[in-house]
Amino acid sequence: MNKKHRMFIRMVLASLLRRRSRMMIALLAIVVGATILSGLGLIYYDVPRQMSSQFRNYGANVIFTPSGSSEMDQDEISKAAAVFPSDKLEGYTPYRYENTKLNNLPVTIAGTDFSSVLKTSPYWHISGELPDADGKALVGKKTADKFGLAAGDSISLRNSFTITETTDLKNIPDQEIYTDPKTGEKYCDHTLDLKISGILETGGSEEEYIYVSLDDVSNLTLNNRSCDIVEVSVAASKDELKAYLDEINKNSDALEAKPVKRVTASESTVLSKLEALVLIVTIVVLALTMICVATTMMAVIAERRREIGLRKALGALNSSIIAEFLSEGLVLGAAGGIIGSVFGFLFANAVSMNVFSSSITFRPLLIPAAIIASVAVTGLSCLIPIKGAVDVDPALVLKGE
Amino acid sequence: MFFRMIIGAFQRQWKKMLMIALTVALGASIATAMLNVMLDVGDKINEELKAYGSNITVVPSSEAVMSNLYDVEDTEAKEEYLKEETLGEFLTIFWANNITDFAPVLDTDAKVNDKAVKLIGTWFNHHFEYVKKGTTYERDTGIINLRSWWDITDGKWLDEAKLSGDNYAMVGKKLSAELGVKAGDTISVKGDAGTESLEIVGIFESGDDEENYIFSTLPIAQQLSGNTGKYKKAEVSAITSPDDELAIKAAKNPELLSGDEYDLWYCTAYVSSICFQIQEAIPEASARAVRQIADSEGKILEKTELLMALITLMSLIGATLGISNLVTSSVMERSAELALMKAVGAKNGQVTLLVLTEIILTSVIGAATGYFMGYCFAQVIGQSVFSSAIEMSGMVAFLVTVLIIAVTLVGSIPAIRMILRLRPSEVLHGGH
Repeated sequence: MNKKHRMFIRMVLASLLRRRSRMMIALLAIVVGATILSGLGLIYYDVPRQMSSQFRNYGANVIFTPSGSSEMDQDEISKAAAVFPSDKLEGYTPYRYENTKLNNLPVTIAGTDFSSVLKTSPYWHISGELPDADGKALVGKKTADKFGLAAGDSISLRNSFTITETTDLKNIPDQEIYTDPKTGEKYCDHTLDLKISGILETGGSEEEYIYVSLDDVSNLTLNNRSCDIVEVSVAASKDELKAYLDEINKNSDALEAKPVKRVTASESTVLSKLEALVLIVTIVVLALTMICVATTMMAVIAERRREIGLRKALGALNSSIIAEFLSEGLVLGAAGGIIGSVFGFLFANAVSMNVFSSSITFRPLLIPAAIIASVAVTGLSCLIPIKGAVDVDPALVLKGE
Repeated sequence: MFFRMIIGAFQRQWKKMLMIALTVALGASIATAMLNVMLDVGDKINEELKAYGSNITVVPSSEAVMSNLYDVEDTEAKEEYLKEETLGEFLTIFWANNITDFAPVLDTDAKVNDKAVKLIGTWFNHHFEYVKKGTTYERDTGIINLRSWWDITDGKWLDEAKLSGDNYAMVGKKLSAELGVKAGDTISVKGDAGTESLEIVGIFESGDDEENYIFSTLPIAQQLSGNTGKYKKAEVSAITSPDDELAIKAAKNPELLSGDEYDLWYCTAYVSSICFQIQEAIPEASARAVRQIADSEGKILEKTELLMALITLMSLIGATLGISNLVTSSVMERSAELALMKAVGAKNGQVTLLVLTEIILTSVIGAATGYFMGYCFAQVIGQSVFSSAIEMSGMVAFLVTVLIIAVTLVGSIPAIRMILRLRPSEVLHGGH
């Protein structure tokens, strides 16, 4: 490093240190700008992901149905569900529907997995409790009103059917097989006693069903048929979702995965509006903030016209004055950019914790972006007043005109 | 003399004053735009969330509590219906303006070429007029807006305004494949009480069971089923406020609320209070919240509003720091001038008053300009994102004025005091 360079660095540093209060003002302006840039940038990039999981409150956005060629058993379902990354899969719930009788009136029962049902239907309002074991039932409000049932009551579901030559007798206990004395027909009369643990309110068709565990449905129907439908809730964008579904449909013969159009289509409509909102807000605020930073920098530099005039009078070249002032600006810009990135991250994280109760994804690329933007804005806003100052006759500047 | 000095300062230093005014204007415009967008974002997002369809269903109340438990013999339980005249009552309730769309639904079993199908009679974009006590209520409403997720794969939406007569239908994609029909075809539909030939206007893809149905106009379903002037249920889409403790308490039993709580609940657009008002207007109906839609709406609204509030807070902090920063620097820059004034005998109070008046005048000019700039930015945001204007709140103008004056004072007073504390000779000598 030669002497000239060392002198240059000393001049830049000395100027920054000597004029501490002015430099603090300039630095503060840049830090504010960089904080807003990196903070809003982080929020903008993270909002779709964070909001997407909020939209899962609408419940399942994918359903699996048997494709018909082979059985949709538990293995096939978990294999298909494994296609979704575990951090995006909120949960999946199988349903098996059967018609049966309660008090000799037809009712539909739905067998399900109560441990995951609230993950795919978070909007269920249950008065009482969600069943936690076999032998307990959740009754839809409409059915409960129809039969006058309340939580804590016991019900007995009845499944009776005629036994023909094709009936598989393997699972049917002998004591439940009766013979009609008149016709000689054999029939089975199987009952299942359940305790109602809660009443379900949704405002939709779910209120017509009685929900029991999958094992109880097998016990009542005396067969182990696989489920009719699996509801899946996945926090993924429209395109990601399509890719996952294509992969599942390509690899599985047993089931067909379909998006729930009402949920996915509406979600992408609303989400795209939200993204556009955050984007345009970011752009407007950022543009205004950057202009604000520039005016402050210009004011700070303009104040030093006298100094510039003095240097020129002492024989400094225009180019060396510009180089010195610019490097000062660049050092300030870089420092402000780094500090601002840290504050921006802290702020974005605080926002994310408050709104979504989860931390923000850190994007390293935003640090260089914030630094480059601050350096560019500072550089540009320094250049304009310096240019003005160096072009004027030093005598005029020193005189104060 | 005071005014002459102020005017003089503006004339001599107009460039610096302009810079301050510009910065204040930028800050004020950020504050104005963000505060207005923040206050209006709830309503805007709420309208967007209407894409999910109806959040209230209205059914006959006798169906909601069916009491014929011992009527075992009569397996064909008598179906309950609502009268078509009651539809007008939706427009008369307290929160009628929050009801964005509603449509009656009457489903009936029918046959097409001996194949059993389900036909649903409803409104598509029905022009509806209702006269009650001399007031005429008008509305264009129907399921076009309640089924935003439908894709029309062939033909177009059934447009009631452009088609004359009622004999039109839209057929679900699955059913159309089974029947082998396409848009433009005419099908003959046989119901319990008659036969109608319907022209298929469009084929739709909905991704659910509705793909197996025929959607037609309400009069057709009424004629086919013999239920003249009746409907089975109504889908209502209303803009609602997210549920809070009061709404949860009221949902259990509105009669348990105290007088004040009841008034507050009744006059807030909770989904439960809108349901309650519909039931008041139509005693034979039971209005229920569709939990999947109503609950989720509340959660998403809450999150969006909080997010926007925090972004606004961040922008406000940025804007105020920027302004006070510049004001401080511009005051410090004038140290020599202030010291000179003191040297020729001005009192501290006089100097402070002079400088403050100058800066506040500049700020007020900047803030006024900024308010209008902010108005423009808010409208740009509203138009480009939601294609509708952002409502400007009078409160924001007041808030921004107070904020700007406070920030200017906070930015300038410490700097002025600091300069005045120094001895004039030192400052003028340049030793600071």
